[in-house]
Amino acid sequence: MEVELIISVLKLTMEAGTPLLLGTLGEIYAERSGVLNLGVEGMMIMGAVTAFASTIYTGNPWVGVAAAAAVGGLMSLIHSFISITLKGNQIVSGLALTMFGLGLSGLIGKNYIGLTVRRINEFSIPALSKIPFLGPIIFQHDLLVYLSLALVPIMWFILFKTRIGINIRSVGENPAAADTLGVNVVLTRYLCVFTGGVLAGVAGAYLSLVYTPEWIEGMTAGKGWIVIALTIFSTWNPLNALVGAYLFGGIDAIQFNLQPLGIPVNVLKMLPYLMTIIVLLMVTRKTIRKKIGAPAALGIPYSREEK
Amino acid sequence: MKSKYGIIGLAWFLLLLLIAGCVGQPPSPSPKPTTVTPTPTSTPTPSSVSEKKIKAAFIYVGPIGDYGWTHAHDKARKYVDNLFPWLKTSYAESVAEGDADRYIDRFIHEGYDVVFTTSFGYMDSTIEAGKKYPDKIFFHCSGYKRYKNVGTYFAEFYQLYYLNGLMAGALTKSNKIGYVGAYPTPEVVRHINAFALGIKEVNSEAKVYVRWLFSWYDPSKAKEAAESLIAEGVDTLAFTEDSPTVVEVGQEHTEKGQQIYTFAHYSPMLKFGPDTVVSGQLVHWEKIYEDILSKIYTGIYNSTNLENVDYWWMLKEHAVELGVDYGTPINPKFINQLKAVKVKEKVTGQEMSVYDLVMLRLKQMSEEVPTFDPYTGPIYDQNGKLRAKPGERLGHDPLWTMDWFVSNVVGEVPKPS
Repeated sequence: MEVELIISVLKLTMEAGTPLLLGTLGEIYAERSGVLNLGVEGMMIMGAVTAFASTIYTGNPWVGVAAAAAVGGLMSLIHSFISITLKGNQIVSGLALTMFGLGLSGLIGKNYIGLTVRRINEFSIPALSKIPFLGPIIFQHDLLVYLSLALVPIMWFILFKTRIGINIRSVGENPAAADTLGVNVVLTRYLCVFTGGVLAGVAGAYLSLVYTPEWIEGMTAGKGWIVIALTIFSTWNPLNALVGAYLFGGIDAIQFNLQPLGIPVNVLKMLPYLMTIIVLLMVTRKTIRKKIGAPAALGIPYSREEK
Repeated sequence: MKSKYGIIGLAWFLLLLLIAGCVGQPPSPSPKPTTVTPTPTSTPTPSSVSEKKIKAAFIYVGPIGDYGWTHAHDKARKYVDNLFPWLKTSYAESVAEGDADRYIDRFIHEGYDVVFTTSFGYMDSTIEAGKKYPDKIFFHCSGYKRYKNVGTYFAEFYQLYYLNGLMAGALTKSNKIGYVGAYPTPEVVRHINAFALGIKEVNSEAKVYVRWLFSWYDPSKAKEAAESLIAEGVDTLAFTEDSPTVVEVGQEHTEKGQQIYTFAHYSPMLKFGPDTVVSGQLVHWEKIYEDILSKIYTGIYNSTNLENVDYWWMLKEHAVELGVDYGTPINPKFINQLKAVKVKEKVTGQEMSVYDLVMLRLKQMSEEVPTFDPYTGPIYDQNGKLRAKPGERLGHDPLWTMDWFVSNVVGEVPKPS
């Protein structure tokens, strides 16, 4: 019994952590290139409603995931256009995107309330899923969980071990210098923000097709904001994002087992944010910032002529 | 230079909003009052009163796009709007509880005669509004304060929770039954207790395990709570939360071969869990709105005589319905299982199946003067304290302020610290 309980909690941890992981991986890229995108919540909920609606029409949840990715990407283009091309205020633009997404998704979703959808089924990996204890925890999920896991090392590798990664980080660190070296600052930023949008859209699809397969207004319930916090928490590193997302997911998964022990939910709900504040305090220190490589040009629009 | 870009950005954004608005979808989700004109399909009113029109406004706490409370109220609003040619309705959704005054003022200034406020937290604002606009009529849902022009109303579920409890007690194999609760308000506590009393009547072994979400509406949390209860050995789940999430969790486990029994809440949920959902509660707010509005129209209710008007409507008024879908009280899949479990009816001692017992109780509670009530003593709380003497029926007030659990519930009612 006890073992089963642990298995169940850890399995749920991975599921609860997956939308956070997808969103965070994307936001890491956007912020590494110097663009803060507070529109994650908006892109995520638009992804959720798009995925749900297109799955209703086509009967194929993977079409839903693709549509959600496309919509997330398109929405991120609005942010890119305002903050990169027009050099507008990134915070205002991101916040606007979130409010826009929450409103528009409610509008589109009105016709989908109370409908059921074909969920994405679990795919147990042959052989591996039979391993005692670890099998049911790690290898009995749907493909989106595996996809998010696979993205962690890939995105880490690209960011830190390839030429493309150097370009991304240099654009976020010192765009003027990168520009001088011939890196296309605008294009790099556009692509990074787009990546963030696509992944936020897929995270939304995960919510409405896997985690709670239904459409209800405002169903992301602040997960997009946790992603923003997690991006800082992970110190802009995809490997840490995995730890952070599963840590936050773990709190979600275990809170109701702890409740009867008298641990108040409010305290547990606070924990993720509390940890973020602590990390935030740490990374504001210059020496630590340098060490972990926080993008120095984060939130600052780049324009060539203003040098 | 910078501000110019800002303006361009803003203009771009407004343009997008405009395009989005033109797509031709239903009313805007922003908390802006939306007017809906009645469709003149019903028969024309008699000429003597044909000039008389009533404008009624509804203030909602959630989005009409939840799948519970606000959705149900709005369905009822649309129903009465279609029913009465003399009625014009309008609503404001997602109105924060502290923000109700502003919306009430606005509706009154737009010439509305009646305002329905549909959240407990609107109570004081509604009373204030009643004093401020003495010639208008207000109705507050789920509160207990009234005034000469402020009435109260509520569609109460405890009878249905009791019936669900009878079925839960008969079906559970692990004798561990879970309840995912929203907030520990007297209403939710009353429902949990009624559920537990039903369970106890057919199964003295089973216990009810409660988890609190501290939210009326949070699908992710509901999923996590349901999963953790199942992990702890629960095989039957009921809940208070405005989404079908708990039923879906039950369906997922059932499909994987672990039968979980669930009870739906507030909206029809059979299609979300055809293999798991046994029964549930459905609401018919339109019965109450129809009654109130027609009485206002005919002058039975006016702005001076509402001090004692309190609707506390249940089965006999048809304000609530037992069911997984309208007209389907019990999922046919489980009827045979319920017929196979025999129990002794506690009043007559007659042996009957749980299915028959549910139907008997449903009939008894639907009678003009209900001949059965779940809250009939003896009822003991968790500490063994007698809360209702043998034969005593708990009335409106003890039910309305309930802050204790009956003996077969595990865990305490969280107290405000």
